Amino acid sequence: MSRVLIVEDETHLVKGLRFNLEAEGHSVEVAADGESALEWLLGDSRNPEAEGKRASGEDFDAVVLDVMLPGKDGFEIAAELRAANNFVPILMLTARGRPEDVLKGFASGADDYLAKPFELPILLARLQGLLRRRDWSRMSATNADSASRSGGTPDHDVFPFDGRVIDFGKLELRGKATTIQLTFMEAQLLRYLVSKRGRVVSRKSILEDVWGLDEDTDTRAIDNFIVRLRRYIEENPSKPEHLLTVRGVGYRFIPEPKKSETT
Amino acid sequence: MSAPYLTERRFDGTGLIPGHLLGMRITSRRRATISFLILGVGLAGVAVAVGMGWIILNWREGIKVFLGVVFFTAITAGLVLNTIFLLREIRRNEQHDSFINAVTHELKTPITSIRLYLQTLQRREVAEPERKEFYRLMLDDTDRLLGTVEQVLKAGIAGHRRRTAEPVEVDLEGLVRDCVELARSGRGLPPEAVRFDLPVEGDRALVSGDPEELRTAVSNVLDNAIKYSGEKVDISVRIESPDEKRVALKVHDRGVGIPPAELKRVFKRFYRVPNRSLTHVKGTGLGLFIVRAIAKKHGGRVFAQSQGDGTGTTVVLELPRSSR
Repeated sequence: MSRVLIVEDETHLVKGLRFNLEAEGHSVEVAADGESALEWLLGDSRNPEAEGKRASGEDFDAVVLDVMLPGKDGFEIAAELRAANNFVPILMLTARGRPEDVLKGFASGADDYLAKPFELPILLARLQGLLRRRDWSRMSATNADSASRSGGTPDHDVFPFDGRVIDFGKLELRGKATTIQLTFMEAQLLRYLVSKRGRVVSRKSILEDVWGLDEDTDTRAIDNFIVRLRRYIEENPSKPEHLLTVRGVGYRFIPEPKKSETT
Repeated sequence: MSAPYLTERRFDGTGLIPGHLLGMRITSRRRATISFLILGVGLAGVAVAVGMGWIILNWREGIKVFLGVVFFTAITAGLVLNTIFLLREIRRNEQHDSFINAVTHELKTPITSIRLYLQTLQRREVAEPERKEFYRLMLDDTDRLLGTVEQVLKAGIAGHRRRTAEPVEVDLEGLVRDCVELARSGRGLPPEAVRFDLPVEGDRALVSGDPEELRTAVSNVLDNAIKYSGEKVDISVRIESPDEKRVALKVHDRGVGIPPAELKRVFKRFYRVPNRSLTHVKGTGLGLFIVRAIAKKHGGRVFAQSQGDGTGTTVVLELPRSSR
């Protein structure tokens, strides 16, 4: 049984969502505003002395997060969770379904995004997808740990390059000294760039193939993701060696720039 | 066993996600506003300085000084007007955007809810009590949807047309009593939450106008007071006679209040007070605009009184007393 937190201030929607998620066998908690949601998920670590507050956050398998909420909105909540190293899968729900809003949702740290009004079977399928991915990620981490304990090699999805390893299963980027936790969409974008390594990929094709957006979206939104990835993988993000901009077209991923120069 | 490496998450100095789209629209708007303001003030300053220089250099030649003063005054006035116009346009666009967002939310949320319940009923076995509850919730949602649609339509009518029907004599006391009753029952409030104090004067508060429009105006004022009351609704409604020619409806709440600088703006189309404590109150920013338009049509006026945040608000709707 999975534990799901619904963050929604519209009581009618909460009742309907709770009914359906419980019918699917999930255990459901509800937060009616941003502050309560953060309290559920992070605890009151910002104010541990406060009476009647949770000292630490509770474990949820997924969050269904509305965007327009009292106080902090859904984008802020997702960003705060990620900033606090909480990587619970987030399915964002919102009345704003424009492509730039969708990208804004992903940029703030959401794993999936559904515009209102949604189809109930689609909502349930997407939530199931997030829960499945969470399970895979946990299994993958367990396998990796047992493999490393037994001296074997982990058998999951990794891409080593230039002294770093992208672990798509665990959504991690392991460097020489640090490990960076990736959001699902960051990992997806990296996977796409890795699959096209050495070749130029256009912003439009990234939007279509990674985000599934084929509308006339402002492709500059992609640039924000690229800036973030450069901070993760480049020694000097202002002079990138791996993630190169191809002026007027898009980007090119070079896994081993030094080897490329010598060949 | 935990991994033998440091897990970290890199963010920029804001503590949140770097350079992404969060608040991009607002930030770029603010930047544009500030740029236009600086550009306008700067150019006007340059025009004044050049004008002064011209006057000083040519102070002996009267005709040149006169022409210079006229020319540079015209340029400075043009620049100031242009800056004011641009800033107004930016503000109007912001209000329009927030209106679109609010209406999108107010229309899509009940539709989402209705679809959710219909698909639930279609997909699952639902026990009879829950089925009845779902029907009730769907009916509530249709009411909400209808309310939003009507408000948008009324705002369109209020903004464009003059008299809609032949004016008739309306007993304001009876009309307000009905509206208070409707507001209470619609939100399940006890009688003490919205109190209607009877007028002290013996004469009847008769006004001339369109009863439907007046009902809309009074309902909007009451809805607004309830919405912004916070958790404890404590509203007093009074009808007074400031003089023998006017009748005033005063609706006083003890809610979040309105900052003095916003007291006039709340009656503008699409305007919503940009205050943290109000962000949870859903609305289109049309309610008080409709009240003002109706008051004007009836030869009256509406205004708000408040000492600021947390002090409550009194909205006064003044209408001319019927002369029949």
